[in-house]
Amino acid sequence: MSSSRVRLAIATCLAAAGLVLDVRGQTAVSPRQILDIGLSGVDAGVIGGESHTPGSAETRKRVRLARALSADRVNAAGIRYASGRVIVKFRDQTEMTRRLDAVRSASKNGAIAPRALHADFDIVTVDPADDPATVAQALDEDPGVEYAQVVHRMRALFVPNDPLYGTLQWNLPMINMEKAWDIQPQAGSSIIVAVLDTGVAYKNATLDVTLRSFTDDDGVRYPALGRQVIPYSAAPQLVASGQSSRIVAPHDFIWNDGRDALDFSGHGTHVSGTIGQLTNDGIGTAGVAFNVRLMPVKVLASEWDVIFGGSPDEGGTDDQIARGIRYAADNGAKILNMSLGGSGPPNCAALPNNPDCSPVIEAALRYAVGKGCFVVVAGGNEFEDTVPFYGKNPTSVIAEIASRIKGVVSVAAVDPAKGHAYYSSTGSYIELAAPGGSERGFSNSGFIRQQTFDFDRTDTFLLRPSQYIPPRFDIFGYIGYIGTSMATPHVAGVAAMIMQQGVTDPAAIEDLLERTAVDLGAPGRDDTFGFGLVDARAALRGLGLAR
Amino acid sequence: MKAATTAILLALGFAGPAAAQTPTRPPARPAPRRVLPPLPAEPPISFRPYVMGAENAFAAVETFKAIFGKSYAPFFGGGLQVTFQGKYYVEVGASRFHQTGQRAFRANGENFGLGIPLTASIKPLEITAGYRFRPRSMPSVRPYLGAGLTSYAYDEKSNFDEPGEGLTTRGTGLVGVGGVEFRVHKYVGISADGVVAHVTGILGQAGISKDIGESNLGGISARIRLIIGR
Repeated sequence: MSSSRVRLAIATCLAAAGLVLDVRGQTAVSPRQILDIGLSGVDAGVIGGESHTPGSAETRKRVRLARALSADRVNAAGIRYASGRVIVKFRDQTEMTRRLDAVRSASKNGAIAPRALHADFDIVTVDPADDPATVAQALDEDPGVEYAQVVHRMRALFVPNDPLYGTLQWNLPMINMEKAWDIQPQAGSSIIVAVLDTGVAYKNATLDVTLRSFTDDDGVRYPALGRQVIPYSAAPQLVASGQSSRIVAPHDFIWNDGRDALDFSGHGTHVSGTIGQLTNDGIGTAGVAFNVRLMPVKVLASEWDVIFGGSPDEGGTDDQIARGIRYAADNGAKILNMSLGGSGPPNCAALPNNPDCSPVIEAALRYAVGKGCFVVVAGGNEFEDTVPFYGKNPTSVIAEIASRIKGVVSVAAVDPAKGHAYYSSTGSYIELAAPGGSERGFSNSGFIRQQTFDFDRTDTFLLRPSQYIPPRFDIFGYIGYIGTSMATPHVAGVAAMIMQQGVTDPAAIEDLLERTAVDLGAPGRDDTFGFGLVDARAALRGLGLAR
Repeated sequence: MKAATTAILLALGFAGPAAAQTPTRPPARPAPRRVLPPLPAEPPISFRPYVMGAENAFAAVETFKAIFGKSYAPFFGGGLQVTFQGKYYVEVGASRFHQTGQRAFRANGENFGLGIPLTASIKPLEITAGYRFRPRSMPSVRPYLGAGLTSYAYDEKSNFDEPGEGLTTRGTGLVGVGGVEFRVHKYVGISADGVVAHVTGILGQAGISKDIGESNLGGISARIRLIIGR
């Protein structure tokens, strides 16, 4: 019996014992139970042999599966939004009866849902037959409404890649990290960084979940596996044994059950690794601000969240993200990392309350900056993509909002040669650049590698139905990803170190990062690299009197 | 002769009882003319070493505030003044400013310190010439005016500097001075003066001074000097 099977058996026994203790006194059964009993994760080192390049069969299958699982509507521009609800911000002086009238005139069976925590807006449920875009437009025109918008779905901005052995972490020297650590060896120890993402593998646990059947985009049906007990572990290089205090106030806005924000994708764990992988311990890879405390805020659903029944679709909606931003700001986070985004219209600067411009997220970002948070947003991965309506290289909506708020920055990606990463969106909204990686011309050495799940053990939905088995989330490796999602946490980590230096004004941090960036491309700010490649040492050093 | 004697006696006779009865105003007499003593002779040439302390208000106010938290600082130094007939002088002086602040940056009109120690030293070398006034009414007070050239040796170092990242350079400029020397002893004088210096070529080319747009490393100093010599 292999060691992993032994571990699974032990975890199963522990979970069963936990279930016996846990089930007493409960009246309702959630589709997901998380028991705080589990074994430490296994660090399998650098894992080769997994192919996740953009054109790979696995990646294509992920895209098809996401499409098949989706319950979203898609507009003419190809933008996905949730059905059955819209986001509305009523003006404060609009009375409740007036609000209800406005809702019912826009949608016959419309209703205002009880306001959720960490929201200054309302969710209006509408008849599933109604197009939320039409309802939102009608509400937006009502004088009692500040803005109304459909519930867009945002995605993690990454392109996972084949993690073969090669040159690891070319990315950290590129932004001058070694010398930055000389300046600040504490590496952000007093700063809390919120990772708004797919969650983080931050604790040992046992999942008690029900695996529903599903049909992929090719019409192939995968069987229901029923109730399963699944091992889950903290990433050993993110939360070492006995260091659980590193994790602060995790919150899940996907399952909406508060305390847990577990990652079933690997994206949020990878991003967290770039920000704060345990470093200088002789194991694995390094992180930028390796002593920061991390606040996992789950605002993006993965395939497993859908299959487990926690989300109708992959990704995260505007309201979930807006609430996540407000939650992080209200609970002590000083840096917010948002490696996520979605496409939208190019003219949001002129029409910020345009429903497709996600005004609910803009309001949340302004709220967070007002609370002293510095926010880093991925610039977008759509440079080569063509979206109906918005064309090639569409505007990344949240990144565009970032460019209009001092204290929120959008980050483009560079490849290992400091060139434009082929996928990195360009536009007037790009403010900074950081390593995002590329396999084009660099093969396996061009990835950003951090510790996250071994996809062979988690993404079992990529197998044929006959081979389909429950996933396990306790085997980790140093996996290569590329994307502006990977560039973003570099900047978040450097910002945490700047804040540790005593600079707490978000607008000042943005100024410093931009002022000290290494200019790339056309002289001065440009649409590809913004003000240039972030330089951690230069930012932490600041300026002298005459030099 | 008899008439004159009579007149004198009469005058004395009138004067005696009058003084004993009611006072009368004495006759007006012209004030005695004050005769100033001659000024002591000045040596044709005198060598006068001095030591000095100064409080300097830098012209680059925001730059110094950003790094040191204030825009004024003391200088200490000394020099040699040579006077000719006590009226004309030429002097060479050197002083030194040395202080540790922190590296910083400026955003939205506000300065932000980063806590990384930065030490700057300024060593002005000045050559000035001028004229010493000699008011006859106050021989121990010698107002003076002068002007000249100054050369600032500037050195800047920070923690975590890489080789070549420090700055050692020199800038030149003009200086004007005006003040008063008080002779407290035949061989000792104390002077108080104001010095205006304008020095370019060091600030404004990089660092926070460039961001702020300040290029004059000079300023206005209030100096006190102890001068030995006639």
